[in-house]
Amino acid sequence: MDYKFVPSVCPYCGTGCGVLFEVIDGKLAGTLPNKTHPVNEGKLCIKGWNMHEYVNSFMRLKQPLVKSFGRFLKTDWDEAIRITADRFKEIVEKHGPDSIGVLVSAKITNEENYLAQKFARAVIGTNNVDHCARL
Amino acid sequence: MQAQVEQWLKEGTVDLFIGYKKIDGHVMPHFFTKEKIDEVKDLVAGQAHYSLEKIATKVAAEHPDMKIGILLARNCNQQALNVLTIWNQLNSDNIKTIDAFGDACPSEQAEDIAPYKQQNGLSKSMVPEDAEAFDQEQRFSRWMYEFSKCMKCYGCRNICPVCFCKECSLEHKDLVGTGNLPPEIPVFHLVRAVHMAGRCIDCGLCEEACPSDIPLRLLYRKVNEIVKDVYDYETGTSPDQSPFSVLGEKVVLETTKL
Ligand code: SF4
Ligand code: SF4
Ligand code: SF4
Repeated sequence: MDYKFVPSVCPYCGTGCGVLFEVIDGKLAGTLPNKTHPVNEGKLCIKGWNMHEYVNSFMRLKQPLVKSFGRFLKTDWDEAIRITADRFKEIVEKHGPDSIGVLVSAKITNEENYLAQKFARAVIGTNNVDHCARL
Repeated sequence: MQAQVEQWLKEGTVDLFIGYKKIDGHVMPHFFTKEKIDEVKDLVAGQAHYSLEKIATKVAAEHPDMKIGILLARNCNQQALNVLTIWNQLNSDNIKTIDAFGDACPSEQAEDIAPYKQQNGLSKSMVPEDAEAFDQEQRFSRWMYEFSKCMKCYGCRNICPVCFCKECSLEHKDLVGTGNLPPEIPVFHLVRAVHMAGRCIDCGLCEEACPSDIPLRLLYRKVNEIVKDVYDYETGTSPDQSPFSVLGEKVVLETTKL
Protein backbone atom coordinates (compact mmCIF):
# COMPACT_ATOMS: atom_id res chain seq x y z
CA MET A 1 0.00 0.00 0.00
CA ASP A 2 1.57 3.22 -1.12
CA TYR A 3 -0.39 6.40 -1.74
CA LYS A 4 1.10 9.76 -2.47
CA PHE A 5 0.72 13.07 -4.25
CA VAL A 6 3.65 14.21 -6.34
CA PRO A 7 3.89 17.89 -7.32
CA SER A 8 4.90 18.52 -10.89
CA VAL A 9 4.49 20.89 -13.81
CA CYS A 10 2.23 20.21 -16.78
CA PRO A 11 4.35 19.42 -19.84
CA TYR A 12 1.66 20.15 -22.43
CA CYS A 13 2.26 23.81 -23.25
CA GLY A 14 4.49 26.71 -22.26
CA THR A 15 2.24 28.05 -19.50
CA GLY A 16 3.63 25.76 -16.84
CA CYS A 17 0.61 24.98 -14.66
CA GLY A 18 1.31 23.28 -11.37
CA VAL A 19 -0.23 19.85 -10.92
CA LEU A 20 -0.35 17.11 -8.35
CA PHE A 21 -0.06 13.56 -9.56
CA GLU A 22 -2.07 11.08 -7.58
CA VAL A 23 -0.04 7.90 -7.24
CA ILE A 24 -1.82 4.85 -5.85
CA ASP A 25 0.17 1.68 -5.33
CA GLY A 26 2.91 2.88 -7.65
CA LYS A 27 0.50 3.67 -10.47
CA LEU A 28 -0.27 7.15 -11.71
CA ALA A 29 -3.99 7.29 -11.10
CA GLY A 30 -5.05 10.90 -11.43
CA THR A 31 -4.10 14.53 -11.91
CA LEU A 32 -5.25 17.43 -9.78
CA PRO A 33 -4.51 21.11 -10.24
CA ASN A 34 -2.16 22.52 -7.62
CA LYS A 35 -4.39 24.98 -5.80
CA THR A 36 -1.59 27.13 -4.44
CA HIS A 37 0.52 27.28 -7.59
CA PRO A 38 1.06 30.90 -8.69
CA VAL A 39 0.61 30.11 -12.39
CA ASN A 40 -2.73 28.34 -12.50
CA GLU A 41 -4.17 28.85 -9.01
CA GLY A 42 -6.05 25.57 -8.95
CA LYS A 43 -7.27 25.54 -12.53
CA LEU A 44 -6.34 23.36 -15.50
CA CYS A 45 -7.42 22.91 -19.09
CA ILE A 46 -8.80 19.62 -20.34
CA LYS A 47 -5.37 18.37 -21.40
CA GLY A 48 -3.85 19.02 -18.00
CA TRP A 49 -6.69 17.26 -16.22
CA ASN A 50 -6.02 14.10 -18.21
CA MET A 51 -2.25 13.99 -18.12
CA HIS A 52 -2.09 10.69 -16.27
CA GLU A 53 -3.79 9.04 -19.24
CA TYR A 54 -1.00 9.60 -21.69
CA VAL A 55 1.64 8.55 -19.21
CA ASN A 56 -0.16 5.23 -18.86
CA SER A 57 -1.11 4.92 -22.53
CA PHE A 58 -0.19 1.65 -24.19
CA MET A 59 0.63 3.66 -27.30
CA ARG A 60 3.33 5.65 -25.56
CA LEU A 61 6.82 5.32 -27.05
CA LYS A 62 9.25 4.18 -24.43
CA GLN A 63 12.31 3.64 -26.57
CA PRO A 64 13.56 4.79 -29.97
CA LEU A 65 12.24 3.05 -33.07
CA VAL A 66 13.96 3.02 -36.42
CA LYS A 67 12.00 2.59 -39.63
CA SER A 68 13.57 -0.05 -41.77
CA PHE A 69 11.89 -1.39 -44.92
CA GLY A 70 8.60 0.11 -43.82
CA ARG A 71 8.62 -1.41 -40.33
CA PHE A 72 9.48 0.15 -37.01
CA LEU A 73 12.22 -1.73 -35.18
CA LYS A 74 13.19 -1.15 -31.57
CA THR A 75 16.68 0.11 -31.02
CA ASP A 76 18.81 2.00 -28.46
CA TRP A 77 19.60 5.70 -28.36
CA ASP A 78 23.18 5.42 -29.66
CA GLU A 79 22.06 3.49 -32.68
CA ALA A 80 19.09 5.78 -33.32
CA ILE A 81 21.22 8.93 -33.11
CA ARG A 82 23.89 7.43 -35.36
CA ILE A 83 21.35 6.51 -38.02
CA THR A 84 19.69 9.94 -37.83
CA ALA A 85 23.05 11.73 -38.11
CA ASP A 86 24.03 9.65 -41.14
CA ARG A 87 20.73 10.38 -42.86
CA PHE A 88 21.00 14.11 -42.11
CA LYS A 89 24.50 14.14 -43.61
CA GLU A 90 23.27 12.41 -46.74
CA ILE A 91 20.36 14.83 -47.15
CA VAL A 92 22.52 17.92 -46.59
CA GLU A 93 25.13 16.71 -49.08
CA LYS A 94 22.55 15.88 -51.71
CA HIS A 95 19.98 18.67 -51.32
CA GLY A 96 21.72 21.37 -49.29
CA PRO A 97 21.19 22.45 -45.65
CA ASP A 98 17.99 24.38 -46.39
CA SER A 99 16.24 21.11 -47.17
CA ILE A 100 16.09 20.58 -43.41
CA GLY A 101 14.00 22.50 -40.91
CA VAL A 102 13.92 22.36 -37.13
CA LEU A 103 10.69 22.74 -35.17
CA VAL A 104 11.07 23.66 -31.52
CA SER A 105 8.41 23.39 -28.87
CA ALA A 106 6.79 25.09 -25.91
CA LYS A 107 6.94 21.77 -24.10
CA ILE A 108 10.72 21.84 -23.82
CA THR A 109 12.81 24.24 -21.78
CA ASN A 110 14.26 27.55 -22.87
CA GLU A 111 17.71 26.02 -22.87
CA GLU A 112 16.61 23.09 -25.00
CA ASN A 113 15.01 25.49 -27.47
CA TYR A 114 18.29 27.40 -27.59
CA LEU A 115 20.20 24.20 -28.26
CA ALA A 116 17.77 23.24 -31.01
CA GLN A 117 18.24 26.51 -32.94
CA LYS A 118 21.99 26.27 -32.36
CA PHE A 119 21.90 22.80 -33.85
CA ALA A 120 19.95 24.08 -36.87
CA ARG A 121 22.23 27.02 -37.53
CA ALA A 122 25.65 25.78 -36.49
CA VAL A 123 25.46 22.08 -37.27
CA ILE A 124 22.99 21.76 -40.15
CA GLY A 125 23.61 25.28 -41.47
CA THR A 126 20.05 26.52 -41.99
CA ASN A 127 17.88 29.30 -40.67
CA ASN A 128 14.78 27.14 -40.99
CA VAL A 129 13.74 27.27 -37.34
CA ASP A 130 10.13 27.53 -36.28
CA HIS A 131 7.96 26.92 -33.27
CA CYS A 132 5.12 24.50 -32.74
CA ALA A 133 2.84 27.32 -31.62
CA ARG A 134 2.94 28.73 -35.19
CA LEU A 135 2.11 25.53 -37.01
CA MET B 1 -4.99 16.88 16.10
CA GLN B 2 -1.58 15.33 15.45
CA ALA B 3 -1.65 13.34 18.67
CA GLN B 4 -5.05 11.94 17.81
CA VAL B 5 -3.94 10.90 14.33
CA GLU B 6 -0.77 9.34 15.69
CA GLN B 7 -2.77 7.34 18.20
CA TRP B 8 -5.29 6.17 15.60
CA LEU B 9 -2.54 5.02 13.25
CA LYS B 10 -0.55 3.27 15.99
CA GLU B 11 -3.59 1.52 17.40
CA GLY B 12 -4.87 0.58 13.99
CA THR B 13 -8.11 2.53 14.38
CA VAL B 14 -7.35 3.72 10.88
CA ASP B 15 -5.01 2.22 8.27
CA LEU B 16 -4.59 5.50 6.49
CA PHE B 17 -5.17 9.12 7.36
CA ILE B 18 -5.82 11.65 4.62
CA GLY B 19 -4.79 15.16 5.62
CA TYR B 20 -2.55 17.95 4.44
CA LYS B 21 1.20 18.42 4.47
CA LYS B 22 3.38 21.25 3.24
CA ILE B 23 5.67 20.06 0.46
CA ASP B 24 7.91 22.48 -1.47
CA GLY B 25 5.99 25.37 0.03
CA HIS B 26 2.60 24.05 -1.12
CA VAL B 27 -0.02 22.67 1.22
CA MET B 28 -1.22 19.52 -0.48
CA PRO B 29 -3.16 16.37 0.34
CA HIS B 30 -1.04 13.75 2.01
CA PHE B 31 -1.56 10.14 3.06
CA PHE B 32 -0.32 9.48 6.58
CA THR B 33 0.44 5.89 7.55
CA LYS B 34 1.78 3.89 10.46
CA GLU B 35 4.93 3.05 8.52
CA LYS B 36 5.82 6.73 8.29
CA ILE B 37 4.49 7.82 11.65
CA ASP B 38 7.10 10.61 11.95
CA GLU B 39 5.34 12.54 9.22
CA VAL B 40 2.29 13.07 11.42
CA LYS B 41 4.04 16.01 13.09
CA ASP B 42 3.86 17.79 9.71
CA LEU B 43 0.09 17.39 9.46
CA VAL B 44 -1.51 20.77 8.83
CA ALA B 45 -5.09 21.93 8.33
CA GLY B 46 -6.49 24.37 5.87
CA GLN B 47 -4.81 26.98 3.67
CA ALA B 48 -5.58 25.00 0.54
CA HIS B 49 -8.72 23.03 -0.12
CA TYR B 50 -8.88 19.77 -1.94
CA SER B 51 -11.64 17.25 -1.78
CA LEU B 52 -10.11 14.73 0.60
CA GLU B 53 -13.45 12.92 0.60
CA LYS B 54 -13.27 12.31 -3.13
CA ILE B 55 -9.72 11.05 -2.72
CA ALA B 56 -11.04 8.67 -0.05
CA THR B 57 -13.61 7.25 -2.48
CA LYS B 58 -10.81 6.36 -4.86
CA VAL B 59 -8.93 4.57 -2.10
CA ALA B 60 -12.11 2.81 -0.99
CA ALA B 61 -12.78 1.66 -4.55
CA GLU B 62 -9.39 -0.08 -4.60
CA HIS B 63 -9.41 -1.31 -1.00
CA PRO B 64 -13.04 -1.62 0.17
CA ASP B 65 -12.12 -2.77 3.69
CA MET B 66 -9.50 -0.19 4.45
CA LYS B 67 -10.19 2.01 7.46
CA ILE B 68 -9.68 5.58 6.41
CA GLY B 69 -9.28 8.70 8.54
CA ILE B 70 -10.09 12.05 6.97
CA LEU B 71 -9.34 15.58 8.05
CA LEU B 72 -12.35 17.85 7.73
CA ALA B 73 -11.24 21.44 7.28
CA ARG B 74 -14.66 22.93 6.68
CA ASN B 75 -18.24 22.14 7.45
CA CYS B 76 -18.91 21.30 3.80
CA ASN B 77 -16.36 18.46 4.01
CA GLN B 78 -18.62 16.73 6.53
CA GLN B 79 -21.59 17.29 4.23
CA ALA B 80 -19.69 15.86 1.29
CA LEU B 81 -19.00 12.74 3.38
CA ASN B 82 -22.69 12.47 4.20
CA VAL B 83 -23.69 12.66 0.56
CA LEU B 84 -21.03 10.16 -0.50
CA THR B 85 -22.22 7.77 2.20
CA ILE B 86 -25.86 8.18 1.17
CA TRP B 87 -24.88 7.39 -2.43
CA ASN B 88 -22.86 4.31 -1.39
CA GLN B 89 -19.49 5.70 -2.39
CA LEU B 90 -18.11 5.36 1.13
CA ASN B 91 -18.94 2.98 3.92
CA SER B 92 -19.39 5.05 7.07
CA ASP B 93 -18.19 2.10 9.24
CA ASN B 94 -14.74 2.49 7.70
CA ILE B 95 -14.46 6.25 7.99
CA LYS B 96 -13.15 8.22 10.97
CA THR B 97 -12.94 11.97 10.88
CA ILE B 98 -11.23 14.80 12.69
CA ASP B 99 -12.86 18.21 12.62
CA ALA B 100 -10.53 21.12 12.16
CA PHE B 101 -13.28 23.50 11.10
CA GLY B 102 -12.41 27.13 11.15
CA ASP B 103 -11.46 27.97 7.62
CA ALA B 104 -13.58 30.68 6.16
CA CYS B 105 -15.80 29.72 3.29
CA PRO B 106 -14.44 31.35 0.11
CA SER B 107 -17.94 32.57 -0.76
CA GLU B 108 -17.68 34.98 2.14
CA GLN B 109 -14.66 36.69 0.69
CA ALA B 110 -15.03 39.93 -1.23
CA GLU B 111 -14.52 39.77 -4.96
CA ASP B 112 -13.29 42.29 -7.52
CA ILE B 113 -15.59 42.23 -10.51
CA ALA B 114 -14.45 43.56 -13.87
CA PRO B 115 -16.74 46.25 -15.34
CA TYR B 116 -17.59 44.16 -18.41
CA LYS B 117 -18.71 41.28 -16.24
CA GLN B 118 -20.69 43.66 -14.08
CA GLN B 119 -22.56 44.85 -17.14
CA ASN B 120 -23.05 41.56 -18.91
CA GLY B 121 -22.57 38.69 -16.52
CA LEU B 122 -23.21 37.38 -13.05
CA SER B 123 -20.68 37.31 -10.27
CA LYS B 124 -19.60 34.63 -7.87
CA SER B 125 -20.50 36.70 -4.86
CA MET B 126 -24.17 36.82 -5.84
CA VAL B 127 -26.89 34.87 -4.09
CA PRO B 128 -29.92 33.64 -6.06
CA GLU B 129 -32.00 36.67 -5.03
CA ASP B 130 -29.40 39.04 -6.52
CA ALA B 131 -29.63 37.27 -9.85
CA GLU B 132 -33.41 37.23 -9.70
CA ALA B 133 -33.43 41.00 -9.38
CA PHE B 134 -32.79 41.08 -13.15
CA ASP B 135 -35.79 40.49 -15.38
CA GLN B 136 -35.98 37.15 -17.14
CA GLU B 137 -34.53 38.30 -20.43
CA GLN B 138 -31.57 40.02 -18.74
CA ARG B 139 -30.95 37.04 -16.54
CA PHE B 140 -30.95 34.66 -19.47
CA SER B 141 -28.56 36.76 -21.50
CA ARG B 142 -26.29 37.18 -18.50
CA TRP B 143 -26.19 33.43 -17.91
CA MET B 144 -25.57 32.81 -21.60
CA TYR B 145 -22.69 35.26 -21.49
CA GLU B 146 -21.20 33.35 -18.57
CA PHE B 147 -21.75 29.94 -20.20
CA SER B 148 -20.30 31.11 -23.51
CA LYS B 149 -16.90 31.39 -21.80
CA CYS B 150 -16.85 27.69 -20.95
CA MET B 151 -13.87 25.87 -22.40
CA LYS B 152 -15.18 22.42 -21.54
CA CYS B 153 -12.30 21.51 -19.30
CA TYR B 154 -14.61 19.37 -17.14
CA GLY B 155 -12.78 20.84 -14.16
CA CYS B 156 -16.07 21.53 -12.38
CA ARG B 157 -17.02 17.89 -12.61
CA ASN B 158 -13.54 16.51 -11.97
CA ILE B 159 -13.00 18.45 -8.77
CA CYS B 160 -16.53 18.04 -7.41
CA PRO B 161 -16.63 15.75 -4.37
CA VAL B 162 -20.09 14.46 -5.24
CA CYS B 163 -19.56 13.81 -8.96
CA PHE B 164 -18.61 10.17 -9.11
CA CYS B 165 -20.50 8.62 -12.01
CA LYS B 166 -18.73 5.97 -14.06
CA GLU B 167 -20.13 7.40 -17.24
CA CYS B 168 -20.80 11.09 -17.10
CA SER B 169 -23.75 12.56 -18.99
CA LEU B 170 -21.64 15.56 -19.94
CA GLU B 171 -19.59 13.28 -22.17
CA HIS B 172 -22.62 11.60 -23.72
CA LYS B 173 -22.94 12.77 -27.30
CA ASP B 174 -26.73 12.34 -27.39
CA LEU B 175 -27.19 14.56 -24.36
CA VAL B 176 -24.59 17.24 -24.97
CA GLY B 177 -23.46 18.02 -28.50
CA THR B 178 -19.78 17.50 -29.23
CA GLY B 179 -17.12 19.08 -31.38
CA ASN B 180 -17.60 22.74 -30.52
CA LEU B 181 -16.34 25.32 -28.09
CA PRO B 182 -18.07 26.57 -26.07
CA PRO B 183 -19.90 23.29 -25.60
CA GLU B 184 -23.60 23.22 -26.32
CA ILE B 185 -24.96 25.92 -24.03
CA PRO B 186 -26.90 26.21 -21.86
CA VAL B 187 -27.44 22.42 -22.04
CA PHE B 188 -23.96 21.52 -20.80
CA HIS B 189 -24.34 23.59 -17.65
CA LEU B 190 -27.98 22.77 -17.07
CA VAL B 191 -27.35 19.03 -17.28
CA ARG B 192 -24.79 19.41 -14.56
CA ALA B 193 -27.08 21.71 -12.56
CA VAL B 194 -29.87 19.14 -12.63
CA HIS B 195 -27.46 16.45 -11.44
CA MET B 196 -26.43 18.64 -8.55
CA ALA B 197 -29.98 18.74 -7.24
CA GLY B 198 -29.93 16.88 -3.94
CA ARG B 199 -26.20 16.36 -4.24
CA CYS B 200 -24.29 19.65 -4.29
CA ILE B 201 -23.09 20.63 -0.83
CA ASP B 202 -22.04 24.11 -1.88
CA CYS B 203 -18.33 23.67 -1.24
CA GLY B 204 -17.39 25.99 -4.10
CA LEU B 205 -14.56 23.80 -5.42
CA CYS B 206 -16.10 23.79 -8.92
CA GLU B 207 -16.04 27.55 -9.07
CA GLU B 208 -12.47 27.68 -7.82
CA ALA B 209 -11.45 25.22 -10.55
CA CYS B 210 -13.29 27.00 -13.34
CA PRO B 211 -10.74 28.79 -15.53
CA SER B 212 -13.54 30.87 -17.06
CA ASP B 213 -14.83 32.45 -13.88
CA ILE B 214 -18.38 31.13 -14.33
CA PRO B 215 -20.52 31.50 -11.17
CA LEU B 216 -21.40 27.80 -11.07
CA ARG B 217 -22.17 27.75 -7.41
CA LEU B 218 -24.87 30.37 -7.83
CA LEU B 219 -26.58 28.06 -10.30
CA TYR B 220 -26.40 25.04 -8.02
CA ARG B 221 -27.51 27.10 -5.04
CA LYS B 222 -30.66 28.00 -6.91
CA VAL B 223 -31.24 24.36 -7.83
CA ASN B 224 -30.95 23.24 -4.25
CA GLU B 225 -33.13 26.06 -3.04
CA ILE B 226 -35.85 24.50 -5.19
CA VAL B 227 -35.05 21.05 -3.82
CA LYS B 228 -35.52 22.41 -0.32
CA ASP B 229 -38.76 24.23 -1.11
CA VAL B 230 -40.34 21.40 -3.04
CA TYR B 231 -39.07 18.30 -1.24
CA ASP B 232 -38.04 19.73 2.11
CA TYR B 233 -34.70 18.03 1.58
CA GLU B 234 -31.53 19.66 2.93
CA THR B 235 -28.67 18.42 0.78
CA GLY B 236 -25.71 17.39 2.90
CA THR B 237 -27.46 17.42 6.23
CA SER B 238 -30.56 15.29 5.65
CA PRO B 239 -29.64 11.71 6.55
CA ASP B 240 -31.98 10.14 3.98
CA GLN B 241 -31.46 9.33 0.37
CA SER B 242 -32.14 12.30 -1.86
CA PRO B 243 -35.56 12.56 -3.54
CA PHE B 244 -33.79 12.07 -6.86
CA SER B 245 -32.65 8.53 -6.33
CA VAL B 246 -35.88 7.39 -7.95
CA LEU B 247 -33.89 5.23 -10.26
CA GLY B 248 -35.64 2.03 -9.25
CA GLU B 249 -34.44 -0.66 -6.93
CA LYS B 250 -32.38 -2.55 -9.45
CA VAL B 251 -30.07 0.31 -10.27
CA VAL B 252 -26.99 0.24 -8.11
CA LEU B 253 -24.51 3.05 -8.08
CA GLU B 254 -21.23 1.24 -7.90
CA THR B 255 -18.08 2.86 -6.61
CA THR B 256 -15.91 4.15 -9.39
CA LYS B 257 -12.90 2.01 -10.17
CA LEU B 258 -9.84 3.99 -11.14
S1 SF4 C 1 -20.17 23.51 -4.97
FE1 SF4 C 1 -19.47 22.66 -6.91
S2 SF4 C 1 -17.80 21.23 -6.36
FE2 SF4 C 1 -18.97 21.65 -4.49
S3 SF4 C 1 -20.47 20.01 -4.38
FE3 SF4 C 1 -21.46 21.73 -5.43
S4 SF4 C 1 -21.14 21.30 -7.60
FE4 SF4 C 1 -19.70 20.03 -6.47
S1 SF4 D 1 -23.47 13.82 -11.46
FE1 SF4 D 1 -23.76 14.36 -13.61
S2 SF4 D 1 -22.10 15.78 -14.03
FE2 SF4 D 1 -21.56 14.70 -12.15
S3 SF4 D 1 -20.31 12.92 -12.83
FE3 SF4 D 1 -22.45 12.26 -12.67
S4 SF4 D 1 -23.26 12.48 -14.75
FE4 SF4 D 1 -21.38 13.75 -14.62
S1 SF4 E 1 -14.90 24.30 -14.99
FE1 SF4 E 1 -15.82 26.09 -16.06
S2 SF4 E 1 -14.84 26.10 -18.10
FE2 SF4 E 1 -14.49 24.06 -17.18
S3 SF4 E 1 -16.18 22.79 -17.96
FE3 SF4 E 1 -16.82 23.59 -15.96
S4 SF4 E 1 -17.93 25.46 -16.46
FE4 SF4 E 1 -16.77 24.95 -18.28
